[in-house]
Amino acid sequence: MRHLGVTSGVLGAIVVAGILLTSVPARAQAAPPAAHEDAAFDIMNVLAHHGLHDINEESWNAYGQFTYISSWKLPFQAPYTNANGSINSLLPGGEQSFTGTFTLFLGVRLWRGGEAYVVPEVIAERPLSQLRGIGGSIQNFELQKTGSETPQIYRSRTFLRQTINLGGGRRVEKTSDPMQLAAVTGSRRLVFTAGSFTILDMFDRNSVSWDPRQTFLNMAFMTYSSWDFPSDARGYSWGGVAELFWDEWAARIGRITPPQNPNQLPQEFRIWQYYGDQIELQHDHVLLGQPGTVRLLGYRNNVDTGRFDDAIAAVQANPMKNAAACQGFNYGSGNVTAPDLCWVRRPNVKLGIGLNLEQHVTTDIGVFFRGMYSDGQSEVDAYNPADRSLSIGAVAKGSAWHRPFDVTGIGFGASWISDVHARYLAMGGVDGFVGDGHLNQAPEGVGEIFYSVNLFKALWLTADYQHLVNPGFNADRGPVEIFSGRVHAEF
Amino acid sequence: MRSSSLALVAAIVVAGLWSSRAQAQPQPQGFAVERLYPSAPGGGWVVMDALDMRGGLGGVVGMTVGYAHDPLRVPTADGSHLALVARQAFADFGLAVTYDRYRLYLNLASPLVIAGDSGTVGGYQLKAPAVDVGSNPDTVMDARVGFDTRLLGTATGPFRLGAGAQLLIPNGNRSDYVTDGTFRAMLRALFAGDVGSFAYAGQLGVHVRPLDDAPAPGSPQGSELLFGVAGGLRLPLGAEGAASLVIGPEIYGESAFKSLFGSGATGVEALLTTRVEGTRDSGGQVRVKLGTGGGLSPQFGAPEWRFVVGVELFDHSGAQR
Repeated sequence: MRHLGVTSGVLGAIVVAGILLTSVPARAQAAPPAAHEDAAFDIMNVLAHHGLHDINEESWNAYGQFTYISSWKLPFQAPYTNANGSINSLLPGGEQSFTGTFTLFLGVRLWRGGEAYVVPEVIAERPLSQLRGIGGSIQNFELQKTGSETPQIYRSRTFLRQTINLGGGRRVEKTSDPMQLAAVTGSRRLVFTAGSFTILDMFDRNSVSWDPRQTFLNMAFMTYSSWDFPSDARGYSWGGVAELFWDEWAARIGRITPPQNPNQLPQEFRIWQYYGDQIELQHDHVLLGQPGTVRLLGYRNNVDTGRFDDAIAAVQANPMKNAAACQGFNYGSGNVTAPDLCWVRRPNVKLGIGLNLEQHVTTDIGVFFRGMYSDGQSEVDAYNPADRSLSIGAVAKGSAWHRPFDVTGIGFGASWISDVHARYLAMGGVDGFVGDGHLNQAPEGVGEIFYSVNLFKALWLTADYQHLVNPGFNADRGPVEIFSGRVHAEF
Repeated sequence: MRSSSLALVAAIVVAGLWSSRAQAQPQPQGFAVERLYPSAPGGGWVVMDALDMRGGLGGVVGMTVGYAHDPLRVPTADGSHLALVARQAFADFGLAVTYDRYRLYLNLASPLVIAGDSGTVGGYQLKAPAVDVGSNPDTVMDARVGFDTRLLGTATGPFRLGAGAQLLIPNGNRSDYVTDGTFRAMLRALFAGDVGSFAYAGQLGVHVRPLDDAPAPGSPQGSELLFGVAGGLRLPLGAEGAASLVIGPEIYGESAFKSLFGSGATGVEALLTTRVEGTRDSGGQVRVKLGTGGGLSPQFGAPEWRFVVGVELFDHSGAQR
């Protein structure tokens, strides 16, 4: 659209564009946009090269991306599936899944320090087994809980941002990026964001691994698997975030809306009564000459959910309060002996704390670690059912083999559930994602390796392999092999 | 004998099906009820287009919020109406890129509330929509992509003639009354001008609309004729006329070709619109616009009353008039 009047220039510039790498671009269902490289092909660079746009002090910008991911799950061994009327097993047969997304990132400066952003997106998808049966290691982070194979346009983000410059010892040049207008500010500043966004736009950033459109596909590597941040079924929330940047330190707090019912699209706007609070402390450092960052995050949800021990007690006290007899919101289990959270939903508090580390080993290689512990007493409200999670991995670009714009990575992730959560599942209970009818409790694990080939400096083709063990935290099932391909373009 | 038996059975089956169909109350699936098609970002008026694109590469971003009361009333047998859509509010986000006399734009509108009363009229079971921000936090109605160009005249001349084309991409659920579920298009001839303190604009065009749900009451009846005209006074504001205020009416409507200007297939409404806009030829400018009015022929999607508020930021980027 923005090629108007400069079409020939755009075509010429396509060939010239550079690329980027580990600190990636693009955003997913609930993943934030990343930076772009100065030499990358995109509309803003093209306009700037033609003298039609000031890319260092922007009054507006517009970016876009397209990503198609296809995954094939091979048949796997499972002694039982959806036992006793449960409904949340990963199906043991071969399956194919896909997502296709097209996103526009539109930003405009309203006044000094004030910015507005609107991000419309189109998505079409087909999950594996209706997005059931995998806990903290869903193979494609682009998948949404409310998607369909028919493309849907939706407004993923609409927010205002105000930056108050507090000065500081050094000058910070904010580059032109999706959802960031280029500007110069101080290393000390206050930033307020209000509107609709994913909390991952501000919290738990990790420049090595947080973009499912460029690096790992599996959700285990995009953020903490056990961080049950409130959001709608697509991964977005309404609310506000305040951030203080103070040289190498940053602190941020935020309050966001939860869904009205767990894992559903409608939002609960009584944010004074139901909410998710997040707080994060961040420190940037240099270790052996290479940059790194440490982040400590805590969250506290006050949301309408069910506790596992309440559900177990309810069915034990009155067998009529079983999963098949649910009357309120429930996930549709037909298990007549299982407990169900539908009987016990009420305002509950959920807590968690996590540590996020990233460290560049060389200019082209970065490593990351994430670990989180959540209390595990109540059901998943918005993200996934893991109660504890760890992930570790490395991402590198291909300079060493003369493919500087290629990207490759390897990672390992594991997630656990609490004992009471396991007891609930073993009795046949289900939550928003898992519940096979039986349970042989074990950590769910995933190993992933990918290689992303850059073509034409604006297009990436990726081959990806994932090995999942104990899907749904159940040692009786799996392992599962998943092969994926990805096409990603930016403009 | 055998063939006559088969014929008898077939006749009974057909009769049975016919009677069951006749007894069932058909339920229309819904359609895009909104009849206010805001002007393209930078278009100046609320609905009409000032066709004043100029200069080098420029841009416009804007947001329009509107509310319509009783936009879809279905006449009942006793002479009253069923307000199938009684309350409708939307927020429309638009952006445009302009260059010289051309404009390319995108509009995305989200419903804030769409609600009404369900009922049965003329044998049709009409189910009112129930949309609000809580239940549909990110819904987008049909997306609009359009292109306008000025063919004759200068950006501020006494007569400007242009043409515009829009593609409406279906999105959302018909039962929410936000979409027809089909692609639609609009092809319009546009005219506008400034004569002294008088500004005017108008349009005549075709709304290519495949959906024809007639005889379901209140429903679209296929492609439509679009028409409209606006006129107002332009008054300078501020030092050296750095801004201006334009106030005047806009009258617009549509009529299905199937029953051109028939009472049940034509909607006409009027808005008294006011806008304040920057008039400098370069640098960022702001336009604020307000419209209030209602249906002159409050049917076929024209509401009993509505108001519209819009804010735009635009930059002609070194324009030369």
